[in-house]
Formats: sequence, structure tokens, C-alpha cells
Amino acid sequence: MPKLIHYRERCIGCNACVEIDYDHWRMSRKDGKAVLIGGIEKKGVFQLDVRPEDIETCKQVVKACPVRVIKLEGK
Amino acid sequence: MSKYGKIEVMAPAGSKEAMAAAIKAGADSVYFGVEQLNMRARQTNNFLLEDLPEVAKLCDENGVKSYITLNTIIYDHDISLMKKIVDGAKAAGITAVIASDLAVMNYCRKVGMELHISTQSNVTNIETIEMFSSYADVMVMARELTLKQVGDIVKQIEREDIRGPKGELVQIEIFAHGALCMAVSGKCYLSLHSDNASANRGACVQNCRFKYEVKDENGNELEIDNEYIMSAKDLCTIEFLDQILDAGVRVLKIEGRGRAADYVYTTTQCYREAVDSIQEGTYTPEKIAVWRERLSTVYNRGFWDGYYMGQKMGEWSKSYGSVATTRKIYIGKSMKYFEQVGVGEFRMDSHDIKKGDKVLIIGPTTGLVEAIAEEIRLDNGQVVEKAVKGDTITFKVSEKVRPSDKLYKVVSENA
Ligand code: SF4
Repeated sequence: MPKLIHYRERCIGCNACVEIDYDHWRMSRKDGKAVLIGGIEKKGVFQLDVRPEDIETCKQVVKACPVRVIKLEGK
Repeated sequence: MSKYGKIEVMAPAGSKEAMAAAIKAGADSVYFGVEQLNMRARQTNNFLLEDLPEVAKLCDENGVKSYITLNTIIYDHDISLMKKIVDGAKAAGITAVIASDLAVMNYCRKVGMELHISTQSNVTNIETIEMFSSYADVMVMARELTLKQVGDIVKQIEREDIRGPKGELVQIEIFAHGALCMAVSGKCYLSLHSDNASANRGACVQNCRFKYEVKDENGNELEIDNEYIMSAKDLCTIEFLDQILDAGVRVLKIEGRGRAADYVYTTTQCYREAVDSIQEGTYTPEKIAVWRERLSTVYNRGFWDGYYMGQKMGEWSKSYGSVATTRKIYIGKSMKYFEQVGVGEFRMDSHDIKKGDKVLIIGPTTGLVEAIAEEIRLDNGQVVEKAVKGDTITFKVSEKVRPSDKLYKVVSENA
């Protein structure tokens, strides 16, 4: 299963990920950073299994993040 | 006090090391980012909310004003963090917030936090100043104004008696030194187009610093001598600082929150000395030449006068990175300091050190200390001409340095 990974601490809250994929991302009004919806936290890093059919969109998000804090692992 | 009254030299503090260096070099104020809402959000070194009390205390103890840059554009989802930062700054005793978005200005006014207008707001005329004056006491002029325009604005402020919330005449600040944006500040979308990285959210990838080829749609290439077609040289005003003060500018800002402590130290010290000598009436061409020389030893892309002297076109840099004449190389760590004899002990981690080498010791509390390694001793007491990686050495250092401070040697760039 492919996995989305969000290194949240270094997120600058620019909203780019939400614009592309609002199914997986939303902005937190609390600290102004992106939230990986349903993501599971481990030491500040969030992970989420994604469906293979969502991969293309996820790839776009990875590319769009200006500070490169989103990664996609596995095929 | 001279005819100019108090002149403020404002230094960038992108890290604790840079902040300590700025204070030591004689800055009157420092500015820095907190969390992600600042124009250097890319830097990993930004301060955190919980650092604010410590920063305020450090600045206070040294009689230095502290400013937080909160100058990105603000979205709805940023509001609560923005408020938290302003509240935190106020509670900690930070002097002021530097902002460009009206949301921040409005909130600062509500809670009574001192506010300065950022260059990102592009203030270029007296009407705008009047409007902002009900919010802010200090305003940075857009970097594209000429000195004559700045001078006229200051005169109008006096004539029309435009005062900020503190009740004093609005003070005008300009950029005195450092990198310039190739666009009108805050209006560049290059980075957003190429990398989806909004410069106005502090994520600028600095496209203007790269080399470019210019081709038309048929693939015909335009021949240009200098492929750095939009990389502006760095601003340096040390040669006409007297004219800047004559124009009525009272706050001089040095750019460079992405720069290391040695850059901050040298630039702050040069501008401090220059301001002091203008006030004492000892601002001479000989001194200017020395300052310029010193400024060129730290990171720069070549210098020009900016737009202040009224050139129509920017001067474009001919190189990608720095053309600094010196460079620092990491060679080891500080271990101990023997206060009675003024000697530091260091562990060599890489390269070597020779008798007579110029070194820098940089750390979060130490800031920056310069020294010449005159007499290098190994831990067995033997005096040596040269020490290498793995050695533990001591030499004289005039000021206290602390464990884990980093030891660098300064080498000439052409060596
Ligand atoms: S694109 Fe990256 S930096 Fe921007 S909000 Fe999303 S995760 Fe954060």
C-alpha cells in the first residue's frame, strides 16, 4: 500500500496541498499548518495509507509542496 | 547628541548565533522570524513561540530592541497562529511586530502591540504613510525609492506633523545593506510560477539568482553577455550613509536573516562604526574604504548603490553565489576556556590550523569572537607550527568562549 508521509513541523502553511487534494489535506486553524486527514502520528511525522488510484494526485501534491515536507512511499 | 539624534542600526537575527553576534557588534535592534509566518519561513532556524521570553530578556539586558517579522500574506487559517504570536510577543516584552498584512496591523492595534510596516507593504508615498500612521510608528520605505523621494517624504511627515500611535513623528526606515529583490518587494511571482513556492509566504526559491538563456518561440536565442539577467547585486550604502541620514532616515536595516553569524557581525559592526563616525564628524574616505573592504569579506554578490542614487536600471550580478573575498572553514569545537590566562581549548575535527591563522569562534551565547592563533599548543604542552584533525589544542582567545562553540579558520577566497 502506498503511503503519504507528512513532516509536519516544517510545514509553512501555504495551502498548496489543500488546493490540489482536499480529500487528504486540510488547513488547521489552530496552528496554521496542513493536516493529513486521518494520518497517524509518530514523533511529529504523520502517515497515511492511500489507495493506488489516488497516487497521481498524491504525486502532484508532493511536487507542489514548496518546502518538500510531503513524501510518497511504496507503489 | 549630533544633529541627527538617535540613529538605529537594525540587524538580522536568523539564529541564536546571529542574534548574539548582532548584539555584540553594537546593533540597536534585532529582527527575527517566529514559526512559519515570516518571509524566511524556509529557514529551519526560525525562533519558536516559547523562545520569546528568553529572546526578550537577552535583548533587554543588552539594551537592544527586539522585533518580530510577521510579514507574510495571511490566510484565514493563519489568523489564530498570528494572534498567538502577537500575544506571545506582547507578553514576553518584545518591542514590536513588523507586518505587511492588514490583519496583523488591525490585531496589533487592538491589543496595543507596537507595530512597524514591512517593506512588503511597498510604502512609496505620503498618503500611505498617513493612513498607516494610525497603526504604526515606524515604516520601511519600498526599496525602489530614490533618496530624494525618501527625503521629501520625511519633510512632509514633519510639515504635516504625521504621528504614530506612540505620539511621536513617524520614523522612516530603509534597507541599508544586503540582498535586493529583483521585483518590487512583495510583488514577485516567479517562484510561485516555477516551483509553486510563494515568495510572499516566505518560500522564495530565488529564481532571479540563476542563469538564464533567452529564446524566442522559434528557438532563436538572444545573445546576452551576462546570463544572470535578473540577479541584482547586493545593496551597500556605507559610502553615502551621511546622505541617507541627511535625508532624515532614522532606522537602518541590514538584510540577511538567512546569513551566518560572521556576516551579521561584520555588517553590523561596519554600519555601527559608520553611523557613529558620521555623528562625531569623522566620516572619512579612508574609513569608508576600510569598511568596504571589510564588508566584501563576508557573503555578497558584488555591491551597488541600489536605487537610492536614482539609477534607472538595476545592476545585475555576474555570478551565482557570493563573491566574498574570504570564506570560513569549520575546523573544530571549543572544549574549555581558561579564564585566568585567557586561553581556549579546542578539539580539531577537520583540516588543520597553522600558527598565525585567523580564526572565528561562533556559538549561540558567545556570538562571534575573532582571534589569531599565535601560539598553538598541543595537550602535552608542546608548541607547534601546525595542528591537524584529532589534535586537542590551546591558544589565546581574548574573550570567553563556551563548550561546543564552533571553531572556523578564515581563508582568502583566492588561496
Ligand atoms: S504544501 Fe507543504 S508547506 Fe504548504 S501547507 Fe501543504 S504541507 Fe504545508
